[in-house]
Amino acid sequence: MTDLPATDLPVTRPDAQVHFGVFFQGVNHTTIWSDPESGSQTDFATFERVIRAAERGLFDAFFLGEGLRLRESRGALHDLDVVGRPDAITQLAALAAITTHIGLVATQNTTYNDPADLARRLQSLDVLSGGRAAWNVVTTDNAWTGANFRRGGYLDHALRYERAQGQLDVARQIWDAFPDTGGNGAVAHVSEHSALFDVELDPTTPRSPQGHPIIFQAGDSPQGRDFAAANADVIFSRHGSVLAEALEFAADIRRRAVAAGRPEDDVKIFPGTGVIVGDTPADAEEKARWVRWNQVTPATALSIVGNIWGEDLSGYDPDGPLPAHDPVVEELGGERGSATTGARTREIAARWRALAQAEHLSIRELVVRNSSERGFQGTPAAVAEDLIRWVRTGAVDGFNISPWIVPSGLDDIVDRVVPELQERGAYPTSYTGTTLREHLGLRAPLTRRASAVGAA
Amino acid sequence: MSASQPPSSFFVGLDADGAGAHPAAAAVARLAGADLVSGARLARTVRQAENAGLTFVSFTDALLPAVPGSPASARLESVTRAAFVSRTTTAIGLVPQVPTTYPEPFHVAAQLASLDIAAAGRAGWIPGVTRDAATADAYGRPVVGDVTREARDVVRVVRDLWDSWEDDAVIRDVATGRYVDRDRIHHVDFEGETFSVKGPLITPRPPQGQLVVLAADGDVPPALDGTGAGDRPGGAEPLVDVTLVGGAGVGAARGNAEAAREHSPLVGVDLEVVLDAGGRTGADRLAVLDASTPVGVRSPWDTRALRWAGDAAGLVALLTELATPGPDGRRPVDGVRLLPAVLDVDLPVLARDVLPALRAARLTAVPRPGATLRESLGLPRPANRYDTRVLADAPNA
Repeated sequence: MTDLPATDLPVTRPDAQVHFGVFFQGVNHTTIWSDPESGSQTDFATFERVIRAAERGLFDAFFLGEGLRLRESRGALHDLDVVGRPDAITQLAALAAITTHIGLVATQNTTYNDPADLARRLQSLDVLSGGRAAWNVVTTDNAWTGANFRRGGYLDHALRYERAQGQLDVARQIWDAFPDTGGNGAVAHVSEHSALFDVELDPTTPRSPQGHPIIFQAGDSPQGRDFAAANADVIFSRHGSVLAEALEFAADIRRRAVAAGRPEDDVKIFPGTGVIVGDTPADAEEKARWVRWNQVTPATALSIVGNIWGEDLSGYDPDGPLPAHDPVVEELGGERGSATTGARTREIAARWRALAQAEHLSIRELVVRNSSERGFQGTPAAVAEDLIRWVRTGAVDGFNISPWIVPSGLDDIVDRVVPELQERGAYPTSYTGTTLREHLGLRAPLTRRASAVGAA
Repeated sequence: MSASQPPSSFFVGLDADGAGAHPAAAAVARLAGADLVSGARLARTVRQAENAGLTFVSFTDALLPAVPGSPASARLESVTRAAFVSRTTTAIGLVPQVPTTYPEPFHVAAQLASLDIAAAGRAGWIPGVTRDAATADAYGRPVVGDVTREARDVVRVVRDLWDSWEDDAVIRDVATGRYVDRDRIHHVDFEGETFSVKGPLITPRPPQGQLVVLAADGDVPPALDGTGAGDRPGGAEPLVDVTLVGGAGVGAARGNAEAAREHSPLVGVDLEVVLDAGGRTGADRLAVLDASTPVGVRSPWDTRALRWAGDAAGLVALLTELATPGPDGRRPVDGVRLLPAVLDVDLPVLARDVLPALRAARLTAVPRPGATLRESLGLPRPANRYDTRVLADAPNA
């Protein structure tokens, strides 16, 4: 960690440009659905409006998440947050036909997919979109999700990254089987036999203008970081609010990339974050406060605390204090489908209680404070300066923005922040390529690197 | 309206896969690799089909190529293709073939529901079966012996999953902070013979409620039979909405259709067409195509279907025969799916010389922009099998 004020950090990349992606329909309570301006979360028109705004704003990518089982709390469906979304590849294929440049990122699970199907569908999207597809590689191991699939909960937790690596290796073989564009050779046969895979197949999907889909990855554990450093083109990181943390993360990823035999700038870093702008700093502050309090409804606050305490707290006063007793269970397990499953509940409860007592916070105030990932807020000019600083100090390459409201949530960024960035020479004024690989400034695919170096 | 007026117009679908339905289509059309499967070519073909007034296009698919190692066997996954043209069209139905034998039913259900949402209710599904051992090797699984049983279970659970969200499950109740009513979203708890699925689906109920399911005669049992079928939600409903039959001649096809009618709401005939075009007769074109069929092709041109090789007028006469109601007021079949030998050659002839003649005779109608595929086919939108309010209100429904 550095003690330097953010403004004094050395600018290591004075010409670096800011890049944007948009993460549509954030999970959990990010998306405020209660506001009258909030549109349908299912209608195609909502997705269309968001992606058109992003393309108008020259964004690199439009990003869809995925969860293969609806979240539950203690056996009952979680009913407070936006839920219900389209299959990512299908939706992106529809969006590909009405856009011309923006990248299309599909989150897809490595555990509950067969490489024969998954690699084929991803490459189909890449070919149809003219080389704009990406795969955000995610892992799952739990049997609870497996209950929706043929093999059930077959995979041990310790093997989830081994499965992911194998899935990606087979996918690359499938994607590389056709000759490069313009080539006339035969299509190679794919054969892979290991502890986790038995695949013998002849692929049908030709290469796209960018070769094959770009690889995104979001793991934050040491294992996840190593996987990303060895395989990913882009890391969708969690470090999008505190610059010092982002710099530390970036240094770590560069170390791991070099250790994996890659150039240190080979892996692009796009933290998930939010942007809130106002005409004055006070306006922005007021809007940010409004957003946070609307994200954390009284029912959501009680649900989040109830998941730590392991019981239904819906009878509690959200404006009152935390429960006086300790959590009834040692480990989180009642809530399924969330990233915090398995955490130590009593440690979390003790931390929350200390914070609530020190700052005199009610249940809802505490949850608001805990979930107030600040992201970037201020006037458009101030936000632009901040974003440029993050990119030019080498902390990140771009930002994956989760709008707090759809479909209008990108308008402020496209109409107010992008022009400020452009005035400062830190943002493109038109797309210069047609593929996602070009937008991101990536080298040739890892499997074609040797020939690319020779040609360069 | 007289009593003999048919309930809806005769449907005419078209398979829009690749270069055409004949195994030598890509070779004869000199298409391979990325040129064969490009988005621009796909969008252009489907737009031509929509402009021609066709009821739907299907996208035949299989995981493995017709000829291993050949770039002329390039093919993209069918739901992705259908989704790509969902926003470049407004009226035509979009019907991907998706196999049931090895893919994950949960993914298939979500992908097809998403296609129906993107297509505003114009999606259908041909649940295919895969009988070759090579496909089992691609998935690293033992060969499925009973593909019909597997198809039955997959179609059952996919239909359950499409109903796992009731239409009004999203309530957005600001007063209580609830986005959905959890009582209107259901676990399906499906137990098949080789797999089980918990549910609910990750995607809300599609606009048509249930996509239109079209199946080749014999691939999918058309309805559940045996004791207890009526006891499970949806157990009394058909698994197949439209059965596609073949036949070596018109008489055989009509006989097959008559048999299929007993268990299928609609019946259509698969009809291969090789039309006179470019100064050559259909028969000549077919001879060239057959002679050009690549060595090692996994399957020759499907001989199960009815076939027309000849001029457009003859095809109009054949279709008129199939579409004209008999003395009992019923048509011999409810429609056809055309399998064009070479799309770029046969589709323009269909658009110019065949479909206008059928419309002029008031046998067919152009799908209305914004209509669902169910509406274009005259099929009702089904009630939700899990909606207890419907069951309570209408015990005989």
